[in-house]
Amino acid sequence: MTHLVLNELSQTYSNTDKPALDRLNLDIKSGMLNALLGPSGCGKTTAMKMIAGILTPTSGDILFDGKSVLAIPAERRGAVMVFQNYLLFPYMSVGENVGFGLKMARMNKATIEKKVLEMLELVQLPGVQNRKPSQLSGGQQQRIALARALIVEPKVLLLDEPLSNLDAHLRDEMRELIRDIQRKMGITTVFVTHDQEEAVMLADKIALIFEGVLQQYDEPDVFYNQPGSLRAAKFFGGVNFLDGEYAANQMTTELGTFSAPRSSLDTGPGVLSIRPEDIEFGTTNDGDNTISARVNSHVYVGTYTKYKIDVNDFRFEVIAEANTKESFPDGSNVTIRFPADKIWILPKG
Amino acid sequence: MNRIIRWFAMTMIIIWVVAPFIPLWLWSFSLRWRFPNLLPEVWSPRAWLYLLKPSSGVLDATIDSLVIAVVVTVVSVAIAIPAGRALGLYRFRGKRFMEFLILAPTIIPGLASVFGVHGLFLRYHLANSLVGVILVHLISSVTYATMVMWGVFSNYNPEFEEQGRVLGANPIRNFRYVTWPAIFPGIVVAALFSFLLSWYQYLLTLIIGGGKVQTLAMLLFNFARSGDRPVAGALSIIFMIPALIVLFVTSRYLTGENAAVSGLGGGR
Amino acid sequence: MKASMYLWWARFYSKGKVWILLSPALILVVFLFLGGLGFGIAESLNYMPIIGLNDPNFDAYRAIFSDKGFYKSLLLTLHVAITPTLLSVACALAFGLVLRQSFRGKKVFTFLFSFNLPIPHVVGAIGILFLFSQSGFFARIGHALGWMDMPAEFPIIVNDPWAIGIIIEYVWKETPFIGVIVLAILQSIGEDYEAVAQTLGANRWQRFRYVLLPLVLPGVLIVSVAVMAFFFGDFVIPAILGQTYPAVLAVEAVKDYTHYDLRNHPIGVAQALVIAAIGTVLVFLYMWLNRKFVRSDG
Repeated sequence: MTHLVLNELSQTYSNTDKPALDRLNLDIKSGMLNALLGPSGCGKTTAMKMIAGILTPTSGDILFDGKSVLAIPAERRGAVMVFQNYLLFPYMSVGENVGFGLKMARMNKATIEKKVLEMLELVQLPGVQNRKPSQLSGGQQQRIALARALIVEPKVLLLDEPLSNLDAHLRDEMRELIRDIQRKMGITTVFVTHDQEEAVMLADKIALIFEGVLQQYDEPDVFYNQPGSLRAAKFFGGVNFLDGEYAANQMTTELGTFSAPRSSLDTGPGVLSIRPEDIEFGTTNDGDNTISARVNSHVYVGTYTKYKIDVNDFRFEVIAEANTKESFPDGSNVTIRFPADKIWILPKG
Repeated sequence: MNRIIRWFAMTMIIIWVVAPFIPLWLWSFSLRWRFPNLLPEVWSPRAWLYLLKPSSGVLDATIDSLVIAVVVTVVSVAIAIPAGRALGLYRFRGKRFMEFLILAPTIIPGLASVFGVHGLFLRYHLANSLVGVILVHLISSVTYATMVMWGVFSNYNPEFEEQGRVLGANPIRNFRYVTWPAIFPGIVVAALFSFLLSWYQYLLTLIIGGGKVQTLAMLLFNFARSGDRPVAGALSIIFMIPALIVLFVTSRYLTGENAAVSGLGGGR
Repeated sequence: MKASMYLWWARFYSKGKVWILLSPALILVVFLFLGGLGFGIAESLNYMPIIGLNDPNFDAYRAIFSDKGFYKSLLLTLHVAITPTLLSVACALAFGLVLRQSFRGKKVFTFLFSFNLPIPHVVGAIGILFLFSQSGFFARIGHALGWMDMPAEFPIIVNDPWAIGIIIEYVWKETPFIGVIVLAILQSIGEDYEAVAQTLGANRWQRFRYVLLPLVLPGVLIVSVAVMAFFFGDFVIPAILGQTYPAVLAVEAVKDYTHYDLRNHPIGVAQALVIAAIGTVLVFLYMWLNRKFVRSDG
């Protein structure tokens, strides 16, 4: 159980002027499962390596339970990193891999063996200790890498893209496994991912990072309902945006005025955003926040249908559940309604 | 700490590279250089002038060395391309054994077979001839060239050739426009390799050539043991010219790793 | 007609292409290498029907194995093959570890480091001779520094009983070769394995011993075996930098083979074959020992 604090953490590589990570502040509560989310090259892996101690920050501080760990080398810091490509030592057996950390600590062989078996049990791969890593599948290798990290009972567990190398069905399993073990052991965990869905499903809290700068640090649902910026909204799958002027709970746009009580700004130029699944379809143009539109095209995706809807020169995406009785052919005239409680006004730009 | 180790290592590298060559140059320009002088007492181009004289045999030896090395290189590469392709691209029964057979000359020293080869060549009138020397040089050159081409073809995707065929290239044009450009860097390495191996070969030339074939390597060996230090120094420098050309070519046209591989030929 | 010929050839090629591709190299190896080896074996057994020697015997081998000088030569040859191999590997690892760090001038030094790869051994030997002989360059520097007066005071490094001169030349020449391979391997490994080990609590030495070494050694093993096999059968360098007696086996073999008394001829051939046999055994032994070392838990 370790309370992890990153204080103005920065990293500038010698070959560039632009910092890879720019004054990152994060306060990660003890025992939390935390995601660093962002597109590749945004500095999230850099942050992770600095926490692990493999990389020394250019400036800023890292605190474990209130104490700076910068002066503690990686091998004594107790922050264990699991790499994206697992990096099991190919010349060792699976058991030797898992027991590596304890061997480095010069624990006696019998204890190591016992602990290794326990760990293999924990990651649900009992009995593989004598195999070579190359004889395991990718998903199994990932579990072994996890066991190898957990055996040393780290203060902080760092996972680099833990699910990205796995097939879809293995992902779900692995996600649950990580979740369960993390809960059971209560280890403060930070994982890096570029996939917002992964972050949302796994993390207690997400730190969204673009180009080395922290954008937002919140619970997962906040990123859907109240994203802090246009970019954050787009990163979380937002597609419907409309520029306008916001004042007194009203958003005035080229397509008319919409009532919008939820907003991240008080007044001034803003962007109206609404998620595709929140837009309502209809045929009568009488309610508030309703406009006439025309179906451009649609794709049937099994559980739902995705429509592209044109309103003058603007295009919106609407997702309608498959069990909705009505279906709208391409070219038909419809009305769409933006429910006032689903609209979220973003700052412009 | 790290810094001190690095400084030490860098100094060692400089000494490593420079030290053996300083006395070579100095001796080659000296007429008299007795102990304990740090520099020659009498400077002179005598050794260099001597090497230019026809009577020294350097010119003839250079021509022989060149002819042998060039023929060995061309034949080695021509043999190594198909052999490397077979070993690098295909799986077949008996492959393990073939690998072993073709690589055996790298583990078993040339000395083991050269006496027998000499006996054979004596019977077929190949001993004491240029052809015989070329043939015996081929053993090691082909082995090393095949190793290089083997590596090249292990990382080669033959589907490019299939694509070429489907797009209408006949086998010859396909080789010319698809295969050749892809394996060309490897061919350069294999060729440099073969050339140096042959250029440096002493023992095999001595036994098979029986003194009738005089290469530069043989002349240099004799001078190294004769005690004429100025001539040995000057001839050493001449003898190194192909190596310097190789260094130049590899550093310009090939990546560092290839350059390293091509150097493997040195001195074998 | 033409079509059927093509079909015939296409079938023939697809069935036997491997052997068609391999045949030139195979012919060369079989006729020259194996042929030479076979002919040599016959010669060493005094079996040469063409000149009327129809009864093979082991006289040449008996002569070799009953000669004390042979064992002295063998010990010397083993020393000259094994010692510089181990030294070169150690030096190559050290240089590799330094050169893989990033620092200013790294490119230049990496190039310099690989500079003597294509330089011939003979030239290296002559350079070593000029540097280390008793009246050589280093002796002169020693004199200039006031450490010695006479050449005889300089340690005997060239043509010496411990083959120091030979070893210096071999290490000088092969360290960069093995080192460049080490560097290439280190580059392909990257630094992540060490990072993993480090976060798991491995200190500097443990990272070297349990991570880097086992990753690098298999590749180094292959090149160092080739290097050792070369040392074992080399003639030129011991002939220039070695002592006259006992000399390494290769020098002795050539001496016997080129002896004016043709009765020594089979002895020379037999010696060459013994070198090949011992050398091969040595290579396999070395590989076996190394594998064992790599796998051991230490």
